[in-house]
Amino acid sequence: MSDTPMSSGSPDDDDDPTLSFVPDDVATGGHRAKPPAPPGLRPPPKRRQRVLGMVQRSPLERKFARLGWRFAAPSLIVVAGVTLFPIAFSVAMSLSDVRVSSNGFELSGLTTENYSVLFSSERWRHALVFTVCYTIGTVLTELVLGTAIALVLERLSGSRGWMMALLLLPWAMITVVSAQLWAYMYNGVYGVLTSLSENLTGEARQFLGTPVPAMVSMAVADIWKTTPFVAIIVLAGLMMLPSDVIEAAKVDGAGGWTVFWRVRLPLLRPALTIAVLFRILQAFGIFDLPFVLTGGGPGDATESLALLGWQVMFTNLDFGPGAAVAASTAGLVLIGCLVFLRAFRARVGDEEGGT
Amino acid sequence: MTGTTEAAEPAGAPDAPVAEDGSRTRRLRFTWVHAAALLIALFVAAPLFWMAVTSLKPPEEIGANPPTLLPKNSTWSNYRDAFGTNNFGTYLFNSFLVSVVATLLVLGLSSFAGYALARLPLRGKEPIMVALLMISLFPTVALAAPLFLLMRDIGWLNSYQGLILVYTALNVPFAVWILRNFFLGIPKEMEEVAWVDGASPLRTVVSVILPQAAPGLFTAAIFTFTACWTEFLIALTLNTADRFRTMPVGLALFGSQFTVPYGTIFAAATVSVLPIALLVLIFRRAVVSGLTSGAVKG
Repeated sequence: MSDTPMSSGSPDDDDDPTLSFVPDDVATGGHRAKPPAPPGLRPPPKRRQRVLGMVQRSPLERKFARLGWRFAAPSLIVVAGVTLFPIAFSVAMSLSDVRVSSNGFELSGLTTENYSVLFSSERWRHALVFTVCYTIGTVLTELVLGTAIALVLERLSGSRGWMMALLLLPWAMITVVSAQLWAYMYNGVYGVLTSLSENLTGEARQFLGTPVPAMVSMAVADIWKTTPFVAIIVLAGLMMLPSDVIEAAKVDGAGGWTVFWRVRLPLLRPALTIAVLFRILQAFGIFDLPFVLTGGGPGDATESLALLGWQVMFTNLDFGPGAAVAASTAGLVLIGCLVFLRAFRARVGDEEGGT
Repeated sequence: MTGTTEAAEPAGAPDAPVAEDGSRTRRLRFTWVHAAALLIALFVAAPLFWMAVTSLKPPEEIGANPPTLLPKNSTWSNYRDAFGTNNFGTYLFNSFLVSVVATLLVLGLSSFAGYALARLPLRGKEPIMVALLMISLFPTVALAAPLFLLMRDIGWLNSYQGLILVYTALNVPFAVWILRNFFLGIPKEMEEVAWVDGASPLRTVVSVILPQAAPGLFTAAIFTFTACWTEFLIALTLNTADRFRTMPVGLALFGSQFTVPYGTIFAAATVSVLPIALLVLIFRRAVVSGLTSGAVKG
C-alpha cells in the first residue's frame, strides 16, 4: 500500500500517518455546532504521537499494545473470517477445476481454464463493457447532477433540513423496492411513464423492451436513487469550504462563475473524490437493480458482471467460471479505484480540504 | 417543503459560509433557488408518491391505462393481502431481527476495535485501516459462493445466525472507521483521569469513552441498520427458504415471470420504507454527519 497517495504521511511506524489526512473536524463536519471538544482543549495529536514514536517501547506501552490487540482482535477475526477467507477461497476456486459431486464440491488442480473460458466468452465481454460504460455514465451524471443539487441546497436556508431528509429517503430505500417501483412505472402496458411518453410524443415508448432504452432506463432508476447521496456528500464538502478564500476571490473581482470553477470546485476535490469512489464501487458491483428491473434483459443487454457471476454460480452451478467472474470483478474494482485515486491525486482532507 | 417562511432549520447542516449579498440580488436568487429546489423535490418525491398511491389502489386501477393520479376507490386490501394472505409479515420480522442483532454486534465489536485503533499504540494501524476500507467496499458477489459453501458445511444455510454473522462482518469495517474518527475527537484528559483513578481498561472504555462517542455510535448504528435492511445478494444466496427470507428477497421473488402483483408488492414496500423513513427523518443529523465522516473513508 506504500505507493498509494494516501500513505504519503510520515514513514514512522508509530506515528499514525492516517492522522495527517484525517482532520478531526471531518468526523463531525455535519453538525459543527457540537464538536466533541473545542480544538483548543485537544492536545495536538501529531506532536504527541511523534513523541511516542521516538520513545523506545516501554513495558507500559507494550502492555497498552497488548490491550489494543485484545480490543481489536474480535473485530479483526470476524472480518477476516467472513471476508478475507472467502475472498482467498474465491480466488482459489477460480483457479481450479471445481467438480460438483454428491458430497459437495471438490477443488482439484491448478488451472487457468476458468479464465480462458471467461475471456473467450462473448457474454462476459458484453457484461464487462456494459458494466464499465454503465458505471462511467451513471457516476458522471450523478456527479454533475449531485453537485448542481448541492449548490441549490446550499443557497436554500429555511427548508434545507427537510430537503435533506427527503433526499435521504431514496438512499435509505431497499434497492429491490426502487427496482420494483421503476419496473411498474416503465411497464409497457400500464406504466405511468409509458403513458406520459405517449401523451408527450404521441407514440407509446417501450422502455425495457430494447437494449439501449433498457440500459438508459436502468441508469435513470439508479440515478434517481443515488444522486441524493452524491448531493449530500458534496453539500457537506461545500459547508466545510473556508469562506475567507471565497471572500478573497470575490474581493479580487471574480464573478460567481469564476469563483465556482477556479476556487470552489478545486477545493471540493476531496468531497467529490469520496462521492465518486463510493459510487464507482457500488455501480460496478450492481446486482439488485438488474436482477429485479430487467432480469439482465432484454437478452443479455443489461447483465452486469455481478449478475453474470451470480447466475453462472447459482443458476448454472458452474462454480469455477462463476468464481472467475467474481474474482476478476473484484480485481477490476481494486485496480479501478487505485487508478482513480492516482489520477485524482486525492489527498483526502489535506490542507486544502480541511476546514 | 420549499417555503420561504419556514423557521430556520438548525438540524440539517451547519450554516453555510454564504457571502452576504445585496438584498436585491438575494431576492432574485431566492426565486431561482426555490424553483430549482421544488423541481428537485418533485423528482425525488414523485416515485415515492406513486408507490404509496399504488399501494392503495384496487387491482383494476393498478392496471389501468391511462393511470389514475389518485385512487378512485382507495382500499387497504393490498395491505391485508401482503401481511395476511402472504408472508410479508414474516419477511419483515426476519429483516428486523437480523438487522437489529447485527447492528448491536457491530457496535459492540467496533467500539473496542475503533478505540484500539484510535488510541492504543498498535503497530500497523494504517495497513489495518486501509485493509478494512478495502474490505468494506468489496463487491459482495465475490463472497457469495464461498460463504454459501461455508454455511452449507456448518449447517447455517436458512438460518438467522448465518446472515447475522455475515452482516456483522460486512459492516464492522465502516463502523470502525466512523467510531475511530469520533474517538480521535475526544479529549485524552478524560481517559487519563480514569486511568489515574485506577479504572480498568474495559471500564474506561465502557463508562468514559463510549458515552462521549454517543453521536458516533448512533451514526454507526444507523448506517449498519440501513445496510442490513437493504442487503439483497447475500440474503438471496444464503436464505432461500421462504421462512427465512428477508424483506428485499421476499419483495424480489414475489409473483411470477408473467404476473407481478404490484399492489401487494407496494403495500409491503411502503411498510418496509416506513421504519427507515422514520429513522432518517428523526435522525437526519446523525445520518448526514455519518455521510460526512464517510468522507474519511477514502
